[in-house]
Amino acid sequence: MMYKLVLMAIACIFIGDAAYPQEDVPNLKDPKMIAAGHDLFLQKQCSRCHGEDGKGGVNLARRDLDPRGVFQSIADGRMGSGLRMPASRDVLTDEEIWKATAYVMSISQQAK
Amino acid sequence: MGKLIFAASLALTCLLSTATVAPAEGPGTEDPNNWPQYNRTSNAWRYSPLDQINKDNVNKLSVAWIAQGGDITMGIQETPLAIDGVIYSITSGNRVAALDAKTGQEIWNYQPKLDPLTKKVLFSPYSRGVAVGDGKVFIGTVDGRGIALDQKTGKEIWQVQLTDFANCHGCNFTSPPVVAGDMLTFGSTAGELATQGKIFGVEAKSGKKVWEFNTIKDDPKSWPGTSGKYGGGGAWMPGTYDAETNTVFYGTGNPGKDFINEDRQGDNLYTDSIVALDPKTGNLKWYRQEIKQDVWDYDSAYEVLLFKKDGKDLIVHMNKSGYVFVLDKNDGSIENIWPVSDLKNFVKDIDKRTGELIGRVELPMNQETLICPSTFGGRSWNSGAYNPNTGLWYNNVLDFCGYLKPVAQKDDPKDYGTGHIGASDFGRLVMAPDGRKPGRLDARDPFTGERKWTHEMDVPGFASVLTTGGGLVFNGDPTGILRAFDADTGKVLWSFNTGSGMRSGIISYAVAGEQYILVPSGWGSYAAILLPPLFPQLEKVPAASTLIAFKLPK
Ligand code: HEC
Repeated sequence: MMYKLVLMAIACIFIGDAAYPQEDVPNLKDPKMIAAGHDLFLQKQCSRCHGEDGKGGVNLARRDLDPRGVFQSIADGRMGSGLRMPASRDVLTDEEIWKATAYVMSISQQAK
Repeated sequence: MGKLIFAASLALTCLLSTATVAPAEGPGTEDPNNWPQYNRTSNAWRYSPLDQINKDNVNKLSVAWIAQGGDITMGIQETPLAIDGVIYSITSGNRVAALDAKTGQEIWNYQPKLDPLTKKVLFSPYSRGVAVGDGKVFIGTVDGRGIALDQKTGKEIWQVQLTDFANCHGCNFTSPPVVAGDMLTFGSTAGELATQGKIFGVEAKSGKKVWEFNTIKDDPKSWPGTSGKYGGGGAWMPGTYDAETNTVFYGTGNPGKDFINEDRQGDNLYTDSIVALDPKTGNLKWYRQEIKQDVWDYDSAYEVLLFKKDGKDLIVHMNKSGYVFVLDKNDGSIENIWPVSDLKNFVKDIDKRTGELIGRVELPMNQETLICPSTFGGRSWNSGAYNPNTGLWYNNVLDFCGYLKPVAQKDDPKDYGTGHIGASDFGRLVMAPDGRKPGRLDARDPFTGERKWTHEMDVPGFASVLTTGGGLVFNGDPTGILRAFDADTGKVLWSFNTGSGMRSGIISYAVAGEQYILVPSGWGSYAAILLPPLFPQLEKVPAASTLIAFKLPK
């Protein structure tokens, strides 16, 4: 029981950690940031599972996404749906993750 | 007292299970009621001699029990084992369970605490099976450990860290070890990793590591300059242990970076090869490289089948290119080479006598080249099955292609989620240019490749095949349909919707006088991520991790 409580507390700390205050979200509409994000998307092989344009494999353009959720998906990875996306926290810097987020947002449904 | 009752009931179970059937004798028929290792027998045929379920009654099959494997991440990829009335199963996150083979009831389960780094690496958290021997259940973990459990209780007996997990780009184990006498051999992932793939020899009793075999040969002719440092290779499927010659045969993985050969202008030994190792020492007895200086990601990690034919001891072995090598078991010399499909274009052909690649297609940098078969191969890693009664080898052939585009990439073994492949993906998949169906189940002579029958599919098969003494072939597809075929003619005799796609190994066993067909169902893996653009039917296939046991009604 105690153990479970501690686990919960740790989980909460992590979730808290990932929720960035508004002012920390960089300007995701900056074309330079989007372009750098696409370079990274190819270099880090996000394209391996999402296609070079984000529309192959698991199609990101069809998803309704918000920037914080995208940041968190990239940082902590995705599991549970039967598919798996590796976590990138500490493998990519926060700045790099935001760049990738900018690119993903530029192709997602929301951007239209 | 409890022990006594247990022993008595065990004896009774054994008695009952031996009373089942008396199938014909011969290679591949030993231990008929069990499925004691990955490919059932040490000749790796995936043939169950059981014949209670046959062509006449297969359409009466009904569900005996269903068990859930837990976490569904990457689906279920295992071939479960069945030994003396107990199923040994491994599912996502290396969760191991022992189940009553008659009821599916769990007897024990075990799950190791995995290194959190497993969330970041390329190959995780699936496993393709467990091994059993010496009263223990053995697993290789996705954080690079070997672990032994008590076969009766599931309690951990020993564990040993084998790969340098954090420093080898996350190289790990996604397959079970091979029990080779009193030794175990573990083959690591590596082809897409900035590392040198190894095979490890471990004492089954104690877990003590005795040797390592490096699949990257230390030889500047084979690997000019520093190109071998991150040469990849590895052996990510279980090998075959041959007690007769005390040899373990492994197929090895591809060289890295997968699609760029500029700096590795040599043979790149021992990638894409069969290596014959002494399990006591790890000494190399012989090797046969199948794909020299590979740039198409054609691992040779698949199952090694053994045959005795016309006084010869033969190996039959397919690699990802779809070419089948028929070799002398004792020295690896070539008897024949044949392709499972005529779609291939990466070479004009492979010389049947010398094994030379004739007219190979190189990949220019930053430019797409159409290569057939795709990086999924002419067949996936899932094993075929050979039936000694029909003399046919049944395989799921993949007939589609991909555009490969090499791009420059830095070497970085800490960039865990990025493949050391020299490209931004594994190729843009496309259907075959001639418009043929993308897959089929083929029945062929394993030595000549002569085809007896074929069953074409709109969505190709990605699961291992089972064939039985009842004259049947069982095959599962990615949409979830399980089919039973007449092994002689390819006629579909029965089908069943399992509710999720299949990527694993169907087995058969008998307990208390009844034959079972055990089917793991649960779509997942890279196939589930990459195939939907080519096969829209797969877009909506739900994931799962389920074992479904079938038998005839009483
Ligand atoms: C190994 C395959 C793989 C790789 C590599 C990969 N992803 Fe994913 N990604 C997935 C899968 C699978 C999903 C869907 C999982 C789900 O629906 O839960 C996904 C989902 C996403 C989502 C949607 C998350 C949401 O909230 O719905 C985003 C955004 C994303 N990926 C971005 C990236 C970026 C950026 C990279 C590179 C740093 C990347 N992915 C690398 C497999 C991958």
